[in-house]
Amino acid sequence: MKKLGLFILPLGLFMLIAVFLYQGLYSNPRERQSMVLDNPVPDFSLPDLMAPQTTYTPDVFNGQVTLLNVWGVWCVTCAVELPYLTSLREQGVRIVGLYYDQDLDPDFGDKTLSEVQQEVTDMLSDLGNPYQFNIYDVYRDLSLDLGVTGAPETFLIDHNGVVRVHHIGDLNSRVWRSKFAPMYQQLSSDIQVGMP
Amino acid sequence: MNIRLMLLLGLCGLLLTLSLQTFAAEDNYQFETPQQRMLFLDLTAELRCPMCQNQNIADSDAMIAHDMRRKVAQLLKQGYSREQVIDYMKDRYGDFVYYQPPVTAATVWLWALPVIFVLFAALVIARRKSQPPLVDEAERLAKADKLLEKE
Repeated sequence: MKKLGLFILPLGLFMLIAVFLYQGLYSNPRERQSMVLDNPVPDFSLPDLMAPQTTYTPDVFNGQVTLLNVWGVWCVTCAVELPYLTSLREQGVRIVGLYYDQDLDPDFGDKTLSEVQQEVTDMLSDLGNPYQFNIYDVYRDLSLDLGVTGAPETFLIDHNGVVRVHHIGDLNSRVWRSKFAPMYQQLSSDIQVGMP
Repeated sequence: MNIRLMLLLGLCGLLLTLSLQTFAAEDNYQFETPQQRMLFLDLTAELRCPMCQNQNIADSDAMIAHDMRRKVAQLLKQGYSREQVIDYMKDRYGDFVYYQPPVTAATVWLWALPVIFVLFAALVIARRKSQPPLVDEAERLAKADKLLEKE
C-alpha cells in the first residue's frame, strides 16, 4: 500500500505539472483581459484628423455596427493590414480610424498636423483607404480609456456604442473569420430585425 | 595605478551619465511638492507596461509607457491618491498593469502553496521521527552479528 502511494504521488504531481506546462506552450503571452469589452465606448470629444473643425463624440457609433481601427502612419503592421481593411470596406463594413501618433503630440511631438495629414493622404492613396473618417486622438486619452496598448488594435462596436470585440494586433482574413465575422453577422441581423 | 584610476573615473562618469539620463525622462514633469514627485517615481516603478513584457513604465520607452507616465503625473497633480491612480490604470488595463497581484480564487495559491508545502513537509518529518526503528532493520542487524560471529 505504501509502495503504491510512493509510486502514485510523484506520478500524479508529474502529470499535474505536465498539464500545466503543456497549456503554457500554447497560451499567448500577449493576450490581455480587455476591461472595455461589453462596456460602452468611453466619453470623448475629439477632432477629425483631416478637418479639425469637425468634432466627434461617441454618438458617431449610434445606429450602425462599426469597426474602430487604431492606427498611425508610423506603424508598419498598420500598413500591412490597410489593403485587407479596404477590402472589408468594399464589402460594406463601416470602418472608422482612431489616429494614434506620438510624433504629433502637442507635448513632445516633432511633426506638424499638416505634415501628418500629407503622410496620411499619401499612405491611404498608396495602400487603400478603408476609413469613413479618422478621429484624431490628440493626447491619446481615448486610446488610454479604451485600454489600447499600441497600434494596430481593432474594436467591433455595436449600434448602441458598446464594444463587442477588442483585438490586439493586425486584422487579417483569419482573424476576421474567427473573431469578428460571427459577432458582426449577428449584430447586422439584429439591426435588420429591429432589435434595440 | 594611473590606468586603474582613469578606468575607475571613466566608469564613474559613465554611471553618472546613465543615471542622469534615466532621471531626465522623469524631469519633464514638474510637481508642487517633493512628496508628489516621490509618489510619481514610486508609481511609475510599480505600474507595469502593458505593451512590453516585464518592464515597468518608468523603464520602458514604448509609446504607451510615455502616455501612462504623463497620465500618472496629470492625475497626481489633480490630487489623486496612490490607490486612486492604481485603480484608474486597473480600470483600463486590468490587474496586469500593477505588479502586486490581487488575492483572488485563482491567485491565492501563490501564497497558500508554499505554506501548504511547509506544513506537509513538517508533518512527514514529525511522523518519521515518532516511528520506532524499523523491525526488519533490527533483524538484519542480528543477521549481520551472526555472520560476524561465524567468522
